[in-house]
Amino acid sequence: MIEVRDAVKRFDGFAALDGATLSVPTGSVYGLVGPNGAGKSTLIRHLTGIYRQDEGTVQIGGGNVWENAALKARIAAIPDDWYYFMQSTVRDMMRFYKGFYPSFSMDRYEKLKEVFNIDEKKTIRRLSKGMQKQVAFWLALSCMPDYLILDEPVDGLDPVMRRQVWSLVMGDVAQRGTTVLVSSHNLRELEDVCDHVGIMDHGKVLLERSLAQLQDNMVKLQVVFQDGVNEVPPELPVLHASKIGRIHTLIMRMNAEEATAKLSTYNPLLVDAVPLTLEEIFIYELGGADYAVKDIVL
Amino acid sequence: MRSKISFFNGALFRKNLTRFWPLWGGASFLGCLFPLALLLQLVRRGGGYRMESPLSFTEFYYNVVAYALPIITLLYAILCAMLVWSYLYNSRSVGMMHTLPITRKGVFVTNFLSGMAMMLIPYAVTGALCILISLAYGGFEPVGLLVTILSVLGESFFYFTSATLVAFITGNLFALPALYFLFHFLAPLLDWLLSMFAGNFLFGLDSYYSGVVDFLYPTVYLMERVNVNRTYENIITQTSITGAYSETNRLTAVTLENAWLIGVYALVGIALLALAWLLYRRRRSECAGDVVAVGWMKPVFRFGLAALATLLGGQALYALFWSSFQNGSYYDTLPMTVCMLVAGTIGYYAASMLLAKSLRVFRGSWKGLVLVAVGCVALCCVLRFDLLGISRRVPEVSQVEKVTFYAADNNYTLYPGEDDALLEQLRTVHKAVVEDQDYVRDYEENRMDTVYSDDTGTMTSTYIRLTYYLTNGLKVERRYTLPLTKYRMAQGGTYDNLLNELVNGEAMKARRLHAGDSRYGVVSGNLWLDYRGKNFDLNSREAAAVLEAISRDAAAGAWGDYDWFDQNGSSAYAMNLELRFVCEDEWGTGNDWISINVRPGMDNAITCLKDLGLVTDQDLATWGEMEKMENYSEANEIYETDSSIGIIGGADGPTTIVVSG
Repeated sequence: MIEVRDAVKRFDGFAALDGATLSVPTGSVYGLVGPNGAGKSTLIRHLTGIYRQDEGTVQIGGGNVWENAALKARIAAIPDDWYYFMQSTVRDMMRFYKGFYPSFSMDRYEKLKEVFNIDEKKTIRRLSKGMQKQVAFWLALSCMPDYLILDEPVDGLDPVMRRQVWSLVMGDVAQRGTTVLVSSHNLRELEDVCDHVGIMDHGKVLLERSLAQLQDNMVKLQVVFQDGVNEVPPELPVLHASKIGRIHTLIMRMNAEEATAKLSTYNPLLVDAVPLTLEEIFIYELGGADYAVKDIVL
Repeated sequence: MRSKISFFNGALFRKNLTRFWPLWGGASFLGCLFPLALLLQLVRRGGGYRMESPLSFTEFYYNVVAYALPIITLLYAILCAMLVWSYLYNSRSVGMMHTLPITRKGVFVTNFLSGMAMMLIPYAVTGALCILISLAYGGFEPVGLLVTILSVLGESFFYFTSATLVAFITGNLFALPALYFLFHFLAPLLDWLLSMFAGNFLFGLDSYYSGVVDFLYPTVYLMERVNVNRTYENIITQTSITGAYSETNRLTAVTLENAWLIGVYALVGIALLALAWLLYRRRRSECAGDVVAVGWMKPVFRFGLAALATLLGGQALYALFWSSFQNGSYYDTLPMTVCMLVAGTIGYYAASMLLAKSLRVFRGSWKGLVLVAVGCVALCCVLRFDLLGISRRVPEVSQVEKVTFYAADNNYTLYPGEDDALLEQLRTVHKAVVEDQDYVRDYEENRMDTVYSDDTGTMTSTYIRLTYYLTNGLKVERRYTLPLTKYRMAQGGTYDNLLNELVNGEAMKARRLHAGDSRYGVVSGNLWLDYRGKNFDLNSREAAAVLEAISRDAAAGAWGDYDWFDQNGSSAYAMNLELRFVCEDEWGTGNDWISINVRPGMDNAITCLKDLGLVTDQDLATWGEMEKMENYSEANEIYETDSSIGIIGGADGPTTIVVSG
C-alpha cells in the first residue's frame, strides 16, 4: 500500500505540495490526474525518494521511503524524462540496474528483449525517444518491482507499443500483485487501465475514489422536457447544462437513479443516463476548483 | 546483506571508473611520460650504467613531491570531483541516482572512493613504472618510496576532499571550479586586498600582504615549505697514472623537509570530509542547477561577492579614475567611498542574479544594497579615522621577539633582553611619530615639495621602517617618510630629536657595525670609486680589515654621526663603501649590508684602504668637490656648430675636426 499523509513541500516559499493525502491499495492501478503544475511529479519524486517532504509522511508498504534502500529495492520508477548515462548501451544500463536491484531478473530481461526488439548493444543516446521509453520499461520490469511508479509513462510510444506496455504492466499486476501508480494526462488511456483515480490540484489531492465510485458519483443525463419547458428548472442541482435542439444535457453530482428520480417530478418526455468518461469527470470536478475550459474567443 | 544497500555499491563504483576512464587514463598516460623520460636518460648514459646511489631516485621522487605535486593535485582533484559529483548538477541524473535503492551515505562513500581511485590510479601507474626502473638500475630505496607514497596519498586526499566539499556547496557544474579555486585562493586574495586597502588609508601601515593566513593557501604554502634537503660528501680521488687529484660530490642523504605539513593537511582533509558529509546529507535534490546549493550560504555568497567586488573593484575604479587627482600617498576618502559603492552595487546585483538565475532581481533589493553601502562607508570611516587604533599601536617590549629597524641607510636588529634600553628608545621614537601623525600626514599630502626644494639646509626628510616580530608569530610593520627640521631636532621630545638621539647614540653606532655581536660576521664588501669610475669587490679578509679600521675611527669619534641634513654625503669622499654581513639567529640565516660614508678625518679607514691598494690620493675628493668639477665641465661642454666644424685632408682620407672656443 502506498500512503501519503498531509505531505507538504515548499520550494522557496511556494507550496508544491500543500497537505497532499493519497492512498493506493496494494495490487491496484492508481491514476493520478490533475492540471499542469498540480504537484503530481513532485508527489512522485517523494514516492521515489528523490525529495524529502517538509511535513507529513510518505510511506510505501508501511515504511518511510526516504533513505530506505531496502524498500526502494522493491520500487521501480519511470519518470517522464528518464535518465541514462551518455555512452551507455542497454546492456550497460542493465548491468548497472542489476547491481542495485537484488530482485533483478535476467530471465525476464531476456524475455522482454523479444518483446521490445531493441539492439541491446546500441547506445541508448542513438535510440528514438519512444525506444528510450521502451528501454526504461524493459529495465524497470526486469527489476521485478512490487511497486511501479510511472510518470507520463507512454508518452512517445506508438499505439501498438502502448498496448504492449500496458499489457505487460497489467500482467504484473494480475500475476504478482504489483501496485502501480501512474500519472498521466491521457485520461482515455487511464480509464482503461486504472481501478482507482486521484485528482490533484494546487498541491492537494482533491478526491480519490475507485473509478466505479467516481462514475457513480456523477451522472450525465440527456433530457427532453414537456412542451413549454425550455430551461432547466433552477432548483435542480446541475453542475453543467447544455442544450441542442430540445435535448438538454445535464451533469449532476449524484448517481443515475437519484438524478432520474429528481427529474421525474417534471414529467420529462425522455431521460437517458449516459456514463461519464474520466475526462468529463476530471473537467467537471476541477470546474469547481476554478479550473474549467474557458470560452475564449481570440 | 548485499552490497546493494550497504555503504558501498560495487556497480556504482565500476560505473564511475568505466564512465570516466578518459580522465584517469589520460592522466596515467601523461604520468607515464616521467618514468619513460627517466628510462631514456638512463639508457642514453650507457647499457651498463648504474645510478651512483638509490638516493638519486629518492631525490627525483622528492623533487616531484615538493615542487610539482601540490599544483598537479590541485588541478587534477577538481577534474575528478567534477566528474564523480556531476550527477548533482542535473535534476534528471539526481532523480535517477536517488531513485535507486542506495542510501545517500552509500552514494557518498562510493562516489568518494571512486574519485579517490581516479586520483590515485595515475600516481600508482607512474609510481609502479618508476619502481620497476629503479629496481632495474639498482636504485630501490624503500624509505624514500614510502615517504613519497604517503605524500601522494596525503595531498590527493586533502585536495579531493576540498573539491568534494565545494562540490556540495554548489549545484552548478560551472560554478564548481570557480568556487574551488576561490576556496583555495580566497584567503591570500583577501589578505592582499585588505592589506593594500588599509595600507593606503592608515598612517605608516607597511604591509601589502601580511601572510598571516598563508596556511589557508595550501598549494603555495606546501610548495614554499616542503623542500628537498640534500647532503653531499666531498670525495677526492687521485688518478694512478698522472697522480692528479679530482674532487667529486656524492649524495649521502636526502630528506623531505617539513613533510609533516602534508600530514597536517591530510588531517584537515578528514575534517573537510566530515563537513562535506554533513552538507551532502542535508542537501536538497531540488537544488540542482543553483549556483549555491546550501540555503544559509546564499546570503554569505551574495554579500561576500559584494564585499570582494567592493575591495577589488573599488580600488580598481579608484586607480582608473581618481589616482591622478590624489594628494599625498593616502586614498582620498570620499572618492574611494564612491568607487566602492559603485563596485559593491555591481557585485551585489551580480551575486543576486547568479543566485536567482534571473536578471530580474532589482525589485525589493534595496535593503541589501543599503547594507552594502553602509558597509562601504563604515569601512572607509573606520580606516580613515583609525577607529581601531591600528596606526597608533606601538607593541610593548614584552610582546616582541625582535625588532628590525631601518633608518639612516642602515638596518638594525634589536632583541629584547639584550637591547632593552634601545628598544625602549625606539618605541619612544615610534610613539612620538604616531603622536605627530597629523603633522607628518600634512607634510606628506601637502608640503613635501617644500622639503625637497629647500636649499637652506635646515629641512630634509628621511625614511624609516620598523618591523616588530611578535611572540604570537605576527608582525607589526610600519614605514614613515618623516620631514625633519633643524629647529625641531633641537627641541627635546620631538620625533626629530628622539630619532637623532637614537641613531647617533653610541650604542646604535656600535650596532651599525655589529660590533661585539657574535651573530654577525663580515663576509665581503664592495667599494666604488667615483673619481676613477672603478669598482672593487672586497674579500672577507679585506672587509674585516676595513671594518676593524672603521671601528677604530668610530672609537676616536671620527665616524658614526649621521648627518640628517647631508644625507647625500657631499662632505664625504666620493666613494661608496659597503660591507656585507651574514647573520645567523633563530629566525634563520640572513644578509645585512651596511653603507659607510668615508669622510675626511677617518684616518684609520683611509690608511687601510690605501694599504689594501684600493684607494689613491686622487680618489680623496669629496662628493661636493666632484659636483663642482662636474658643474665646471658641463659649463665648458663642447658643442658642434656649423662654424666649429672643419674637414682636413690626410693620407687616410678626410678627417672632421671640431674647434672649441
